[in-house]
Amino acid sequence: MDARVSVVETTKEIAGTEARASARSSFLKKRLGRFAPLLVLGALCLLLGLLNPSFFSLRNLIWGVANQAAIPLILSMGATFIIIMGSIDLSIEGVLCVGAMIVALLCTNDANSHHFGWWGPLLALLACTALGLLNGLVHVGLRIPSFMATLGLWFVGLGIGTVILGGTAVRVLDPHIRGIAFTRILDVPMAVWIAIAAFLLALLIERCTRFGRYVFAIGGGEDIAKLSGVPVARTRILAFTLAGFFTGIASLLASAQLGQANTTIADGRLFMTITAVVVGGTALTGGYGSVVNSLVGTLTVVVLANGMVLLGISPYVHETVQGLMIIAAVALSVRRGAQLVIK
Amino acid sequence: MAYDHTLFRAAVDRRRFLAGSAALGAGVLTMGIPRLARADSPPLLVTSIRSLSNPYHAVWKVGADAFAKQMGLEHVTLVTEGNSEKGISDINAMIAKTNGHMVLNVDPNNTPDARPIVEACAKAGVFVVTWWNKPADLHPWDFNPHYISHIEFDGTSSGAYIAEELFKAMGGTGGFVAIGGIISDSASIDRRRGMLAALKKNPKITLLDWQTGEWQSQKAFDITSSWLTRFGPKIKGIWAANDDMGTGALEALRSQGLAGQIPVVGIDGIKAAVEAVKAGEFACTVSSDPYWQGGIGLSMGLEAAQGKFDPSKEPKLHREFNASTVKITSANVDAYIKTQVDTHPQIDWTNLWDRVASPITYS
Repeated sequence: MDARVSVVETTKEIAGTEARASARSSFLKKRLGRFAPLLVLGALCLLLGLLNPSFFSLRNLIWGVANQAAIPLILSMGATFIIIMGSIDLSIEGVLCVGAMIVALLCTNDANSHHFGWWGPLLALLACTALGLLNGLVHVGLRIPSFMATLGLWFVGLGIGTVILGGTAVRVLDPHIRGIAFTRILDVPMAVWIAIAAFLLALLIERCTRFGRYVFAIGGGEDIAKLSGVPVARTRILAFTLAGFFTGIASLLASAQLGQANTTIADGRLFMTITAVVVGGTALTGGYGSVVNSLVGTLTVVVLANGMVLLGISPYVHETVQGLMIIAAVALSVRRGAQLVIK
Repeated sequence: MAYDHTLFRAAVDRRRFLAGSAALGAGVLTMGIPRLARADSPPLLVTSIRSLSNPYHAVWKVGADAFAKQMGLEHVTLVTEGNSEKGISDINAMIAKTNGHMVLNVDPNNTPDARPIVEACAKAGVFVVTWWNKPADLHPWDFNPHYISHIEFDGTSSGAYIAEELFKAMGGTGGFVAIGGIISDSASIDRRRGMLAALKKNPKITLLDWQTGEWQSQKAFDITSSWLTRFGPKIKGIWAANDDMGTGALEALRSQGLAGQIPVVGIDGIKAAVEAVKAGEFACTVSSDPYWQGGIGLSMGLEAAQGKFDPSKEPKLHREFNASTVKITSANVDAYIKTQVDTHPQIDWTNLWDRVASPITYS
């Protein structure tokens, strides 16, 4: 009799300990999951630093990493809000192309005699924002999935570029605009400061505005958000407009950095941006993530590309290594418990 | 629902249906006319290229338009947009529309595309010139007289030439880095092979690293930035498989205040590269002269169609050859800008074979 009681009690005790242990481990997992992208980035940096000490040289951190991360970071800021909302923006390359073209054609260039200086970037910013707004209006107004609406606008943007530029490259000769790529403040190129400002702006919008909270509410469950009085349509349109705005800033940097605009200026940007956001740990299903994650994700992708060159890895295996790193980074950061269906 | 309904109504609208059938009928009728008028009316000039959004094919079209204007003939440009299916079916549609009364200058989107295009042309009696891509066992002389020529440019010798120029600019000694195009691309493979061959001949030169910029300016910019930290002052020169990547590398140098100190070379002869040669930032570039390509292919077709020469009587070297390139260095850049960049070049389109350089070899 006594023995049986003690067995039961022991079982209970064991169960209790297990429950506590599993609670602790799930807490640990949660924490770990949250910081996994940062750990991946840290480990990657450490590994590269060990294999090639020049990775940590100031010159590499500024020119090899920060300067190269500037444009992808700005692009991923806009994309983050849209992905948190559970949508996607595929129009980045088309919009970027239009923006860069406007910058190049309005400032002093080798194709026409305009020199409107800073009006070019301003107009480019407006045009890109307007294209983002159009994305939102088409998506919400015509009830077309964001995937298709933005895919359409991607080609519209490239089409506009092809019609106007006709395949030629327009060179930016305005020294002030080129200066964005050359001017240094505290030894750090202007492009990096602009990217930092864009990041802070995005962080402010995410953390301190009603819009920022609405985006999470929509991504977490649009029907509930709607019932709770969240202006879903307006928030969606605003998010796409904001993405257009960030793409506009990136287009200015791209044309300043390369000193030209052509229709292929944005090739490969879409893949890099979405990869950066996802590697950072923002869920493609929506409702979870942050622009801080995207900062980490962008740095991971850029450090990886930089590291391949620093280590002299054969270009024949680059793509494979990059693909494996992406899978590894996402595998570590994805919150498996939170997702019921993996599509 | 209402949406679908209107669409459906639009589709069967009687007036539209009648108008459509009338147009179709007229089309069928007019299709017969060119056959009757074939002997005296000149053929339609047709160009088929990849896209109008890359500088190379954009200039190609300018050259083709200039030739057509000079001849006073109508010219149509078809664009594949990188889609072989589209490219082939557009050409077939054009052959059907003109009833074979046309000449074709085509840059096939992909190697296998050349065969169906050439077969369709030969069947319809269309004179055709192909560039860059064709299967090794497809030969112009097997489709006499309609398949006039297949023309390429020797990437190996261009890659070697710019490498030699780079080594000269480096003073014959030191390390350099090389940016290639898409790894599996045949132009990229050939140019790299040429560069490596030139490297072998210059034992004092070392290749520090080779990376692929996938033909993109931005990629080359990023790679060069990373190289500058990895190798620093050890880099004495940059070899790029095309000018777009070369200018990307140059901008990376410029952002670190090194433009003009480290020579860059590229291939294509795009405007930015030519101006960089003038500024002393590029050591040289090589152009296949797409303006000439756009016009000369049509000129060959037109002259053959007009019976001015018989392709089947031409030597094999004229039927399949590597054409010579235009080399641009500091020695001739001023003249080049004056005659080729500031104004449209004056080309004698009747001189069909003056750029035959060497036979094409198949590995």
